[in-house]
Amino acid sequence: MSKTGTIAQLRKEGRRILTEFESKKFLKQAGIPVIETRLAKNQKEAVELSRKMGFPVALKIASPDMIHKSDSGGVKLSLKNASEVRTAFKEILDGTQKKNPSASIQGVSVQKMARPGTEVIVGTSKDPQFGPVIMFGLGGIFVEVLKDVSFRIIPLNRRDAKEMIEDIKGYPALQGYRGKEPADIPALMEIILKISKVMEENPEIKELELNPIMAYKKGALAVDARIILEDETSL
Amino acid sequence: MALRNPKGSDLTPLFDPRSIAVIGLLKEGFFGGYVVIKSLLNAGFKGEIFPVNPSYNEVLGLTVYPSIKDVPRKIDLVLIITGARSVPGILRECVEKGVRACIVVSDGFAERDEEGRRLQDEIVEIARRGNLRIVGPNTAGIANPAKGLIPNPYEMGYEKIKHGAIAVCAQTGMINPQAFPYGDLGYGVSKICDFGNKSDVDECDLMEYLESDPSTKVMTLYLESIKDGQRFLKVSKRVVSRKPVLILKSGRTEQGAHVSASHTGSLALDEQIFDAACKQSGILRLETFRELFELPKIFASQPLPKGNRLGIITFTGGVGVLAIDEGAKYGLSVPLLSSGTRKKLEAIFPGLGKRIVDMGPPMALINNYMPVYSEILKMVTLDPCIDSIFNVIWTGPSGEFMEKYLTIYRELQGSKKPIASWIYGPRLPFVREMTYRLEELGFPVFPDIEMAIKALGMASQYAKTKGGDQ
Repeated sequence: MSKTGTIAQLRKEGRRILTEFESKKFLKQAGIPVIETRLAKNQKEAVELSRKMGFPVALKIASPDMIHKSDSGGVKLSLKNASEVRTAFKEILDGTQKKNPSASIQGVSVQKMARPGTEVIVGTSKDPQFGPVIMFGLGGIFVEVLKDVSFRIIPLNRRDAKEMIEDIKGYPALQGYRGKEPADIPALMEIILKISKVMEENPEIKELELNPIMAYKKGALAVDARIILEDETSL
Repeated sequence: MALRNPKGSDLTPLFDPRSIAVIGLLKEGFFGGYVVIKSLLNAGFKGEIFPVNPSYNEVLGLTVYPSIKDVPRKIDLVLIITGARSVPGILRECVEKGVRACIVVSDGFAERDEEGRRLQDEIVEIARRGNLRIVGPNTAGIANPAKGLIPNPYEMGYEKIKHGAIAVCAQTGMINPQAFPYGDLGYGVSKICDFGNKSDVDECDLMEYLESDPSTKVMTLYLESIKDGQRFLKVSKRVVSRKPVLILKSGRTEQGAHVSASHTGSLALDEQIFDAACKQSGILRLETFRELFELPKIFASQPLPKGNRLGIITFTGGVGVLAIDEGAKYGLSVPLLSSGTRKKLEAIFPGLGKRIVDMGPPMALINNYMPVYSEILKMVTLDPCIDSIFNVIWTGPSGEFMEKYLTIYRELQGSKKPIASWIYGPRLPFVREMTYRLEELGFPVFPDIEMAIKALGMASQYAKTKGGDQ
């Protein structure tokens, strides 16, 4: 399925929100490193996929009607064995159905727990004056409380990508401190440049967020992602 | 959405008209068409001037025409000072007459109320259909000193502006000749433009025009808003690759942005996003109104530095340390001079061959000091370890060194490295005179240490941007 094909298909279904699973699939096709994520339709499939990927795993609800998956009990992390996966699968479905009985549910996504790294965020939005812009920041408290983020206007060149990473106050944290491994800056630049290209080529995308991306000494991996499309009328 | 004329941003009729019609108020006073005509005549404007007003026959020796239709010649530029409601009708007549550019000084448009906004939309529509460019409304207008084109609507108290390389543009009349003492400056300007409400001609049009204007080497702009963000980014990227662009942007705070949006009638701008646009295009951002006029001087008459290594010549160590601290903010470093230069300096006076070349001690002890000073200044300027020079000048109690300093600086004209100077002394008249005369020679003098260093920092930053490490 082509990139535009995915979006065209969603449009036909009258949807604006891509599930985490769909978002990752789309981003993977665009060449962005995302953690391997598969969709399980039932408990048995979830257990099989978990065994294949290797424990511990994470299970997340796949529903286009739920943007904030964890608010409705739709996320279970660090599941260590088959019985934990079975229980988690049931709890996720029961919990989300109770909370939102009319939500359409595609299944439950299964992914290996990512090795911990330095958490960063890459997101995009649209500025009324400058059009699509890209945001970069360190994950968690840095973005949410300290608003330590940098912006650039799309399209970006390599220098823009490098400078926007260096611009954040928390940049020294990416260079490694107190024995923590440094982050692979060129890998993060590559992700930023690819997202810039995705936004240029897909004006239908309103917002996109990779949160978190785990940055390692070598490479980086998007662990969660979401994409929201523009209103049909605003295009 | 920005309305674009098919002629793009060719603003030649605006800045270089062969004829001007001045329509409206002709009563003598400190404001109005009478002042405009007087300013044009005083500044030596060579083109034709046609006053237009049905109630007059003659003003300042010129025939007054009842309407623009009655003017027997072709008109390039029209300046309107009438009530807002009569502007659309006058513009229609201008279009019929084939006028290409118009300065609408009149206020009472989008900055005032809903009716004003409607009037503004109407005049923009007339201009767009008629292939006419509008500066304003609500503007103090433009100036092109090289052509004696100073159609200033306010009494300014002086007649001429020195022609130079700096273009000053703003969304305010605070940069126009009645507000700023251009007549008293040692350096000159190439163009002045107050956008007013920016209904048509905007920052992008100006940047594009100035990009190919041979007399402009640097442009400095004060903006409250941007009319078209994507065009701004595209245009500024291209212009900056040819000439430095310095921008002071107000409305950084939420309240500032709100007040700006209501008084210019334009969309408020997200500060972080605007900052990103400047970083991506290499625009140099200013922080104060004073910098708007001071910092461009380093680009107007000095070469760009080849790197970030700063040489400091001073009369006290304290100034040198302040300069080093300030330089660090802009990535300037103060290296040791080459061993050859250090040796020569030590031979002149022990302790002179340091990172900061401190002239204080030798000055107090060496007889016939000025020839030595001249030698030292040239030696440091030519040193291969230095890319730019911060030179401090002490006027002395009675300005006794002034002529000598000027002689030395004359010998430095054409140097391949930028020199920023700061002048101090116990008597303000000497500081002022020396500042004026050095700037006349093309050597920028800054009002304090910090601004001199910032100017060199920006020059180094711009040289790096232009060097194209993209």
